[in-house]
Amino acid sequence: MSVKLNIPSYLQPYTNDTGVVEVDGSTVSECLNHLVTQFPSIGKMVFAKEGKLLDYVSIYVDGEFAYGDELAKPVKDGDELHVVYIIGGG
Amino acid sequence: MLTEDERQRYDRQIMIRGIGEDGQEKLKQAKVIIAGSGGLGSPASIYLAAAGVGTIRIVDHDRVELSNLNRQILHWDKDVGRNKVDSAAEKLSQLNRGVEIEPVEVTISEDNVSSLVSGFDLIVDAMDNLPTRYLLNRAAIENGIPFVHGAVYGLEGRAMTIIPGKTACLRCVYRGSIPEEKFPVIGVTPAVIACIQATEVIKYIVGIGKLLTNRLLVYDGLDMKFTEFSVKRNPNCDHCGHLAGEE
Repeated sequence: MSVKLNIPSYLQPYTNDTGVVEVDGSTVSECLNHLVTQFPSIGKMVFAKEGKLLDYVSIYVDGEFAYGDELAKPVKDGDELHVVYIIGGG
Repeated sequence: MLTEDERQRYDRQIMIRGIGEDGQEKLKQAKVIIAGSGGLGSPASIYLAAAGVGTIRIVDHDRVELSNLNRQILHWDKDVGRNKVDSAAEKLSQLNRGVEIEPVEVTISEDNVSSLVSGFDLIVDAMDNLPTRYLLNRAAIENGIPFVHGAVYGLEGRAMTIIPGKTACLRCVYRGSIPEEKFPVIGVTPAVIACIQATEVIKYIVGIGKLLTNRLLVYDGLDMKFTEFSVKRNPNCDHCGHLAGEE
């Protein structure tokens, strides 16, 4: 199962400047874990210590906010995930 | 009623379908508070003043620093060390003498945020930190005032419009905070986002178009790409969840 995971510019230093990473998984969690397998240093930028998402990271599945139990949200072949970081500058 | 001078000044935007003289009169009567007079607040206030928004309150507690000048275009070399709100008010008054500019030099806090926004038609989020954005978001909801969010980092930006009790609020979308840090930014990024915010303000006041509600707009200047994400109200939102049922 192949899913496109879009990485924001902010996090691309952790993916060798790659903006879209192909990942496998049937849930958001599995896809993110596959991302971390490929790029281990990005793990601390996405996950909190308890394996939950960091408070300031949001995941969108095919453009829809996966808020709530987002790590358990199912994904299917061809889906597109976006990692969106909270930013606060002005 | 517009004066002849105002008809001439705003002639080109009065020509826009949906604005007309009625829309211009609405802009003239409108009261907008801009929280922050920095990277976002500078262009937002410039374009709202130029468009003829009748009353603009600018709130900021900072003084101008040399390192602000790459992006905070209301403040110039001569203003370094000066209060930002006074610097902003001077330029905006010169830009459009028909607009009332209210400079308020204060730190926005839980104690004063409601009184600062009370009586205004719209709040523009031009802050440089998330905790104050949350204060403004809550005050907007409590006072029923539309809130136009914007934020930047480097060459990235975000924008979203919030209609309290009807559309997703900032807290529905953002649950946490981020570490306070000096953030990278170049002036063109807040210029893009602030112009989107100002456009939303004008549309709301005049009553035209489709607002950026229940949509988070993400701007990536590096790839020159806008991505729109669909968001919805969180019934358990700690800011607007109690208004459930008004959607």
